[in-house]
Amino acid sequence: MVQKAEARVLRRLNKIIMHVLFIHDAFPAQFGRLALELTKRYGWKCSFLVEDLSRCPTPTPEMLQQLEIQKLPLSEDLRKNREIPWAQVYGRYLESCRAVYEAVRARQHWRPDLVVAHGGRGAPTLFLPEVLDCPILNYCEYYFAPSRRDISYRVDLPLVDPSQFYPRCINAMTLVSLVDCHAGYSPTRWQRETFPKRFWPKIEVHFDGIDTELYRPHPVTRVVAGKTIPTDTRVVTFVARGLESMRGFDQFMKLADRIGRELHDVIFVVVGGEEIYYGWDKLHTGQPSFKKWVLSQGEYDLERFIFLDYVEPSVLSDILCLSDLHIYLTVPFVLSWSLFNALACGRVVLASEVDPVLEVIEPDKNGLVAPMFDTDVLSEKALQVLKKPEEFRPLGEAARALMETHYSIDACLSPLKDYFERCIQSDLRG
Amino acid sequence: MSQDPLHLVCIEPSFPGRLGAVADWLVRKRGYHCRFCCTRTEPQEFWPESTGKGLEVILYNLGGVAREPSAAWTRTLERGLCYAYGCWEMLEARRLRPIDLVLGRSAGQGSTLFFPVFQSGIPVVNLFDYYLRPHANDLTDETGLEMPAEYFHWRRAANAMDLLDLENGVIPWTHTAWQRDLFPNEYRQDFMVHFDGVDAERFGRVGNETGDRVIQGRTIPAATRIVTFVARNLEQLRGFDRFMDLANRLARHRSDVVCVVVGDFQVQRGLDVKFYGQDYREHVFSRNPPHNPERFWFLGSASPAAVAEVLKASDLHVYPSRSYVVSRSLVEAMAGGCVILAADTVPVREFITPGQTGILVPFNDIDSWESQAREVLDHPHTYQELGLAAATKVRERFAQDVTMPDLAKAFDIIGNGAKG
Repeated sequence: MVQKAEARVLRRLNKIIMHVLFIHDAFPAQFGRLALELTKRYGWKCSFLVEDLSRCPTPTPEMLQQLEIQKLPLSEDLRKNREIPWAQVYGRYLESCRAVYEAVRARQHWRPDLVVAHGGRGAPTLFLPEVLDCPILNYCEYYFAPSRRDISYRVDLPLVDPSQFYPRCINAMTLVSLVDCHAGYSPTRWQRETFPKRFWPKIEVHFDGIDTELYRPHPVTRVVAGKTIPTDTRVVTFVARGLESMRGFDQFMKLADRIGRELHDVIFVVVGGEEIYYGWDKLHTGQPSFKKWVLSQGEYDLERFIFLDYVEPSVLSDILCLSDLHIYLTVPFVLSWSLFNALACGRVVLASEVDPVLEVIEPDKNGLVAPMFDTDVLSEKALQVLKKPEEFRPLGEAARALMETHYSIDACLSPLKDYFERCIQSDLRG
Repeated sequence: MSQDPLHLVCIEPSFPGRLGAVADWLVRKRGYHCRFCCTRTEPQEFWPESTGKGLEVILYNLGGVAREPSAAWTRTLERGLCYAYGCWEMLEARRLRPIDLVLGRSAGQGSTLFFPVFQSGIPVVNLFDYYLRPHANDLTDETGLEMPAEYFHWRRAANAMDLLDLENGVIPWTHTAWQRDLFPNEYRQDFMVHFDGVDAERFGRVGNETGDRVIQGRTIPAATRIVTFVARNLEQLRGFDRFMDLANRLARHRSDVVCVVVGDFQVQRGLDVKFYGQDYREHVFSRNPPHNPERFWFLGSASPAAVAEVLKASDLHVYPSRSYVVSRSLVEAMAGGCVILAADTVPVREFITPGQTGILVPFNDIDSWESQAREVLDHPHTYQELGLAAATKVRERFAQDVTMPDLAKAFDIIGNGAKG
């Protein structure tokens, strides 16, 4: 054992090129850009084990060329079986852990210095210490609460059976992997503080870093989905991976309706798919699409809406740059990248007044906030912006500045690299 | 501080399990009213005195995978959630009230997990037994070598229910410092470490009993040396294999030795994945049959009264358990003034001080086991002091009448704290 440890120390100390193995359901997600920059700027080797290539956002050709990406050989059953009963979620997680373990075991040549694994629903690294002798770092995305946050927040929707029970066991995967890992990091302070306090010393705060080159204020042609938008028409944007209750799609529609009744020269561009990623919208509504359910609940003038499914990052950047007002009505939960992207594009954002948002948006300094369910206040603020957008432009400029200094990949890369190195060193000392 | 009677709800998969004795004492000595919620009951001979007299047993049903006799290890948590859900359904249907305090023991099955869904604001004290380490303790040193990778995967995955319980707002309670220290560092300081105690009166020897002894109606002459082994089940974890090694050596060496063994033959502990559900005694016999079967008495599962009878008759009590949660039978043997020869493990050292209250030997050194056992059997009077000191230690520290008043005080503060 001692010899093994010594050999490991020597190997790492003599190494110039660090090898990080990233593990995530999807690619590129939080790690793709980070890994690319570690490769390009520092010559690190970055490998990936992923379940799927993502379509929101999609990987860039450069990522696919520069990074070693291995897809997990998940069984067909595991791939298909995404919507399983809540009591069986942990079993599904263990199957993922097993798949990760087998994949690493099959690659004897992989001798990473560090594993960085996304722990959205528990990092699937539980069995890796059986085959790898390096520190495991968890991306501590979120710890669910039994009430007043995340999937339990929307008490205005009908009570559904799992809502009483699932929040009390949903963290099982997160807990087992967090206890076993060497350390972790959360992208925001609020996310870190969702975890039990006892684990805070184990979790540092490091934001992923967004692409402020791609998402930057830039001139664009006023055409969306082939539809030309006149220069005197105001554009209101809403972006979410899924148009669902946790991201406040229904509240947005109410707000949009109110704005539309007040202003005639406004168009609403909505980006997002109909999939439901969080919560129980299907149970709440009895329908597979929350979007369709919401649209059926009101008399919306759909001529004034442009609904887009998923769009490429460059298209999203262009859409955001058209926006006069970006609406972000999330419940207290992990902040969407779209919020950061909108802020990076220098947009004026009107967001729900919840703690995670308030960590980023300083009201009336770099954005606007209002209570999520108060359509009166929301519409009042929205109309002020849309009526006099130039008066609110400083908010967008301050938002852009904040993204550059605190949330850009340039700002975040070095501290993250330093953290990764500290983890490796502390493991060697330990 | 006064200790008021409380409305107590105990939740444990089996009655009386481990909480039964605690509930019984609280009912008898502090006037508690207790509803004991469980899925099954052990035979009546194991039921405590107050059952039906202040201690009410309520059964609840299980659904889903918990109804199946066995399930893949990846479904262990799901199984536990079925227990928790079944308990919640029963609570909801019966509307049990009032409740001042809940005492739970999940034994990996998490029965109190959904109690707050039924009623929030009631303090829950959960008894935690054992946190699995992937490569340490219990059977890992031996069976681990021959086990497939899945065995270690299971061990890494099996603590999920305990972690959920720990994060469910409970007050964690465990019996020993060793058990507490198995848990991740982040949780240790939250634990209330308190041994629940044994019935020292039942197991204590009345005097210096040197005459003939009677076990289950059979008389054993005073000159015969009685070597005892007691476990809930005769299993590898409790070192039944090691006991047979030793017992056979002793039986070969002395013709006046009778070995009395208490414990069910079938392995029921899921931890022993190799022999689970099997007759481990048969397995041991196939390799190491009793030297003289007439001098081996296998009593099977025995009531507390029968165990007391055996321990009171013992000249040497052997406790060769692997490193695991200390059995009540060890403390009961101490209470009975037995001279104890035990495996030298950290958990055992919390109870036995070598050379003062018992003899400890390295688990794998069978020659030491034999030489120490022979020494005791050859010179029983020389070693009697160890047994007396052990009994004194139990009376002072581990007897129910010592441990339970403190525990009741803690429950009183917790229960009344929630009220006030």
